Amino acid sequence: MKKTIAMLLALVMMLSLASIASAEGKTIVYWSMWESTEPQGIVIQKAVDAYVAETGNKVDLQFKGRTGIREGLQPALDAGTVIDLFDEDIDRVNTLWGSYILDLEEMVKASDYEATAIAGLMGACREVGGGVLKSIPYQPNVFNYFYNQAIFDEAGITEVPQTWEAFLDACEKVKAAGYIPVTSDDAYILSTLGYHMARYLGSAGVTKVVKEGLWAEEPAVLKSAQALEDMATKGYFSPTIGSSVWPTNQNGEMALGLAGMYLNGSWLPNEVKAMTGPDFVWGCFSYPAVEGGTVGVEGANYGAQVFAINNKSEVAQEAFDLIVKLTKGEHDQMLSVESVGIPADTTNTEWPAALAGVKPVMDSLSVRFPWAAGIEDNADMTPIIKQELQKLCAGEITAQQFVDNLEAKSASN
Amino acid sequence: MHTRNRGMIIAFLAPALLFFSLIFLYPIFRTALMSFYNVENITSGMDAWTFVNFDNYAKLADTSLFRISMWNLVRIWGVGGLVVMTLALLFAVILNSGIRGKKFYRAVIYLPNIISAVALATMWLQFVYNPRFGLLTGVFNALGMKGMAATQWTAAGNKFWALTYAYCFGMVGYHMLIFSSGIEKIPHDYYEAASIDGANILGQFTHITLPLLKGVIKTNITMWSITSVSFFTWSQLFSTVVSDVDTITPMVYLYNQVFSGGNVVTERNAGVGAAVGILLGLCVVAVFIVINLLIRDDELEF
Repeated sequence: MKKTIAMLLALVMMLSLASIASAEGKTIVYWSMWESTEPQGIVIQKAVDAYVAETGNKVDLQFKGRTGIREGLQPALDAGTVIDLFDEDIDRVNTLWGSYILDLEEMVKASDYEATAIAGLMGACREVGGGVLKSIPYQPNVFNYFYNQAIFDEAGITEVPQTWEAFLDACEKVKAAGYIPVTSDDAYILSTLGYHMARYLGSAGVTKVVKEGLWAEEPAVLKSAQALEDMATKGYFSPTIGSSVWPTNQNGEMALGLAGMYLNGSWLPNEVKAMTGPDFVWGCFSYPAVEGGTVGVEGANYGAQVFAINNKSEVAQEAFDLIVKLTKGEHDQMLSVESVGIPADTTNTEWPAALAGVKPVMDSLSVRFPWAAGIEDNADMTPIIKQELQKLCAGEITAQQFVDNLEAKSASN
Repeated sequence: MHTRNRGMIIAFLAPALLFFSLIFLYPIFRTALMSFYNVENITSGMDAWTFVNFDNYAKLADTSLFRISMWNLVRIWGVGGLVVMTLALLFAVILNSGIRGKKFYRAVIYLPNIISAVALATMWLQFVYNPRFGLLTGVFNALGMKGMAATQWTAAGNKFWALTYAYCFGMVGYHMLIFSSGIEKIPHDYYEAASIDGANILGQFTHITLPLLKGVIKTNITMWSITSVSFFTWSQLFSTVVSDVDTITPMVYLYNQVFSGGNVVTERNAGVGAAVGILLGLCVVAVFIVINLLIRDDELEF
């Protein structure tokens, strides 16, 4: 009996020592914007497991989802909750939570991180971080025209349109081949107007119009509206563009091969891959240049999700090492494959086949627009602009009525 | 004895009062106070607040989008409420008229309430109203009504009614149950006596059922008002990413102001959100007062 008790006590002591030994590693608390079941969440979990196995550190990984992060992160940080690492969109992290995050310049320099990072995105992070690098990009994305290569081939379009005239010509050919030239949903339709206006004014000019209500005063608004009215008159837009609530047309027209083009993000192939299947060949081109414009095909919205470290974190270096694990080499490549996304590590040169057409477009961009080129920068006007734009694209109102309506409605704001 | 009782009362009430003050009164007081400040972050301390007097309320009055959201709320409450209450009362009366299969029909009408609002709204939006292969398009095509089949139910102007109809569809069962429980309490003898005296069904309804349901009607209207004021999920689901003129409600406007909803990070002001909350609270109180004035309890016992 005594022997049994002694053995049990010895076992308890050994287990206690083992647990003390395992507790020696540091713990990183990571709040993720993804759900655990999404491709991104699954790959992140694998990368975290690999990091834990290699370092002996612990990672308290909590998948919060977009809403959980947007609503919960800042109150949690204010309440003093220990959160070392988190991720979200580049603008949200740097703009809303900029005062909570750590300057990463030293750590990036020490690890020579930038040698294999996309320079444009690192620059974008510095730009939104007020000249200082406070976030590390991953899952790069670009917002531009995506097209169905099979429809383009059938319509006899051999080169992607670079100018507005060439774009209209492509629309005509797609229509003649029996397809819907351009489709959209309510979530993304505003980018059409934003991009067109930004071709004339740059994105800063678009923001000025929506914030100051210069709809009638700025001639580029009417010119842009006339271009879209022209498309509506010629039947280039989806017949349901005035009523489509995302993702109705993304799924029902683009993914099912009924429509040729959609101004959308590079996440589109991933979102509809269950519907398109592996044989669907995607193409991409930059929003066409317009005559008399100031920004050409080199301008578009591109960005990324970013990682950031809490400036109160006591395990900042460990959190940065985990970021490296997530954004370099094997796991960056895995994330790219599983989520049909763009790799963040420049040594991962193999892009998913569905995004092969995006690479030359991404490489050609040098002017970064904010989301929708600034057309959504006035929250009190965005739903109103959206409704008027849907009517314009559906052919229910003219370009002049579009301008007049927005001028009147912005005056009452 | 008297003193001892007072001590007991205080001892038993104190915890409840304390928690009530902490959980209800303090947030109300803080929200009311916050509505007079510019507050960038909802959780920031008061030292980060900037006093702006009535500016937040003035901004709401001057913002057409907020006025639109209030008008949408009034329409959902008024038109939707009329439809829901009428149908709920009608179904409750029919179910309590002695028809066979009462439990089955009651379960069927109540069924939408046990399905998640997300699933219901997605079903309405992506299936029923889908302009390409939706239920309505299919039915009207089958009936040869090409004009109706081509209707885009979620286009500007139609979308509000599409939303209201879908929402009301799910709410009838809930209010029907409340009406039904009220009707079940009315003694059957009253109806028998009225039948003997020659009253028809309509007469029995207007002279017995309705007067004896006053309290239940008041409860139903109050409940409807509270759920209408907090109308959020359905609105968000009918405009999944960017808010919509036809579906925006004050709660969605509040959310966008506090959390910068939508695609873009825009200026946040939890003070404006608090002002919206105060206005909505006042609306519910006003409705409650008006209902109490219009529908007086007769304190009938039966």
